[in-house]
Amino acid sequence: MFKRGQRAVFAALAAAAMALTGCGGGSGADSDPNTLRLWHFEAPNSAMGVAWNEAIKQFEASHPGVKVQVEEKGFEQIQKTAAMVLNSREAPDILEYNKGNATTGLLAKQGVLTDMSEEVAKRGWDKLLTPGLQTTARYDERGVMGSGKWYGVPNYAEYEMVYYNKDMFAEHGIAVPTTLDEFTSAMDKFVSAGITPLAVGGAEYPAHQILYQLALSKADRAWVDRYQRYTGQVDFHDPAWTYAATTFADWVAKGYLSQTSASVKAEDMGASFIAGKYPIMVSGSWWYGRFSDEIKNFQWDTFLWPGNALSAGSSGNHWVIPQNSTKKQLAYDFIAITLEKGIQSKLAETGGVPVVADLGPISNPKAAQLIDNFTALSQGDGLAFYPDWPAPGFYDVLVSGTQKLINGSAGPNEVLDEFAGPYQENLANVGR
Amino acid sequence: MSPAPARRARRRLGWSSYAVLLSLVVLAVVMLIPFVVVAFNAVKTPEEYATGGPLSPPQGLYLDGIIDFWQRVDFGEKLLNSVVISASVAVLAVVVSVLNAYALGIGRVRGRLWILVVFLIANTLPQEALVYPLYYLWTQLGLYDTQLGVIVIFTVIQAAFGTYLLSSVLGTFPRELLEAARIDGANKWQVLLRVVVPVSRPTLAVLVVFFFIWTWNEFFLPLVFLISNETQTVPVALGVLQGQRLMDPTMSSASALLGIIPAIAFFLIFQRTLTRGITVGAVK
Repeated sequence: MFKRGQRAVFAALAAAAMALTGCGGGSGADSDPNTLRLWHFEAPNSAMGVAWNEAIKQFEASHPGVKVQVEEKGFEQIQKTAAMVLNSREAPDILEYNKGNATTGLLAKQGVLTDMSEEVAKRGWDKLLTPGLQTTARYDERGVMGSGKWYGVPNYAEYEMVYYNKDMFAEHGIAVPTTLDEFTSAMDKFVSAGITPLAVGGAEYPAHQILYQLALSKADRAWVDRYQRYTGQVDFHDPAWTYAATTFADWVAKGYLSQTSASVKAEDMGASFIAGKYPIMVSGSWWYGRFSDEIKNFQWDTFLWPGNALSAGSSGNHWVIPQNSTKKQLAYDFIAITLEKGIQSKLAETGGVPVVADLGPISNPKAAQLIDNFTALSQGDGLAFYPDWPAPGFYDVLVSGTQKLINGSAGPNEVLDEFAGPYQENLANVGR
Repeated sequence: MSPAPARRARRRLGWSSYAVLLSLVVLAVVMLIPFVVVAFNAVKTPEEYATGGPLSPPQGLYLDGIIDFWQRVDFGEKLLNSVVISASVAVLAVVVSVLNAYALGIGRVRGRLWILVVFLIANTLPQEALVYPLYYLWTQLGLYDTQLGVIVIFTVIQAAFGTYLLSSVLGTFPRELLEAARIDGANKWQVLLRVVVPVSRPTLAVLVVFFFIWTWNEFFLPLVFLISNETQTVPVALGVLQGQRLMDPTMSSASALLGIIPAIAFFLIFQRTLTRGITVGAVK
């Protein structure tokens, strides 16, 4: 009696649950042969968002009957769930994905991404993109970037630069520096005028990117390859790293950056620059669009880190095609459109950094400057990637080490020792 | 919490109750500050935020951030999804808990202590540990990326806690009532529906409310198991604004405000049930 009744109740419950969620099923990949399912995580008003919306329009115009179904995702969601999603039938046909060994490299190794090499060669994308940009698109069988097959195609780039407040520079009679010496003497002038020159966020990536820029001023391409692609021995007490750490500590001592900046977040660093509290901020091109929108009270511009042939920077995140995609040809066609000059110009006009050179005249003079700087860097093979790339979890090591340099709780040598430990440990993990 | 000591305290220590009042007011203000900041920034223009910083009061009512966010993620659909999932889980999990607890607490199944220990351990399992096994199971069953899949998961998770709690509550259920019912000729099924459930209704109501709110706020498993935008819940939709390096403070505030409102509304509606349930527990 009891048992039969219970079973009946369970059956009723199951039926109720089915009824409740009857319409809640996901949209399977095999739903419609004429739909290209595309995922990305760019805001609709960002440079990429604007350019890609235009690309979708052009794609639908040149492929009558095919509809692009865009789903805007959170960065975190794609980051956390990509391996599972791409392995299932719910995988999209094409998506924007994070570049790097721990992301695209890992998925490539697991075999859930399409090897695009053949199509890349056929469509000439390998000639369109400079070697620095290709580095993050290609992964070998261990999932290490820099060589091997193509698993991603980048659509935009990013690089480290110096944002400066033109009004404050003019007020103190300071010219745009072209060498590191001029840069430091400019900062000296601000300090003697009672102004802290550098807006720095020590709690996140900005501070150690400055450290990396300093190291790069004494480095060459082989040094970058050893550090990023494990092509040789890395010594954290070599001249480049030693110079970087001692100079950085020296800058703190001279008051170029405040000691309180050790606990400042990147967001607050940007906000303080927007509010005009600091004349200089060193960070990536991802701020560019936001500064264009939000800085209204003063004139600003950018220059490359003075005197460096190498600078932190790389391709942006890229398009990947899941192995389970049923519309690979359409996906390639879409990528081709996003690499066309029209779309790339659109991206450039809205403050993004295009990957295709020689776009012709850009109407927005500041954007033209941004692109010229990038072209100079990229053509000179100057993209040195980011310091936290070589090892998983290395980001936190760099942040805490640089924080110690800022608040003076450890000297340059100790900090470099702290960097060396986790880095060398990781080498063992990647089999070097 | 009983009234007698409180009255005595008021008589004896007049000033100390003012001190308590004052500290409660301070605490309330401290608790409310984040909400005020969120509300302020939600109705500011990005330019206002850029010039005035996060703490300045807004100069006017700028609702574009809220409207833009609503349209960008189709918030109405997300609300409906969240309500469907949370409500189904709340009801189903309580039903399952009652059935389990009836067997364990009143039915006195053999080895019930160990069964409860298993439920307790299941409760302490971190959700991260469940992700991969469930992912493989659900893709095989076709439940991946369906709301039904998430409802089943949370029904089990919440029912594990509900079973544990209700079993101990029903373990102290007055035996006289059960025996009286049985003498009147009620079978086990009737005892459950006519005696046990009506008597423990306040506890069950509180469980429904808690399960609803807990499920509503769940982020990680829905993030992993609801990958299509049209099946997503409110907390997952809020994550869309989190970029790789940049955030949009005013729109994030707007979305946070939209995310809080349903929970507040739900609390106001069921506030009486909640407080009644708490006092019932206290008197017992």
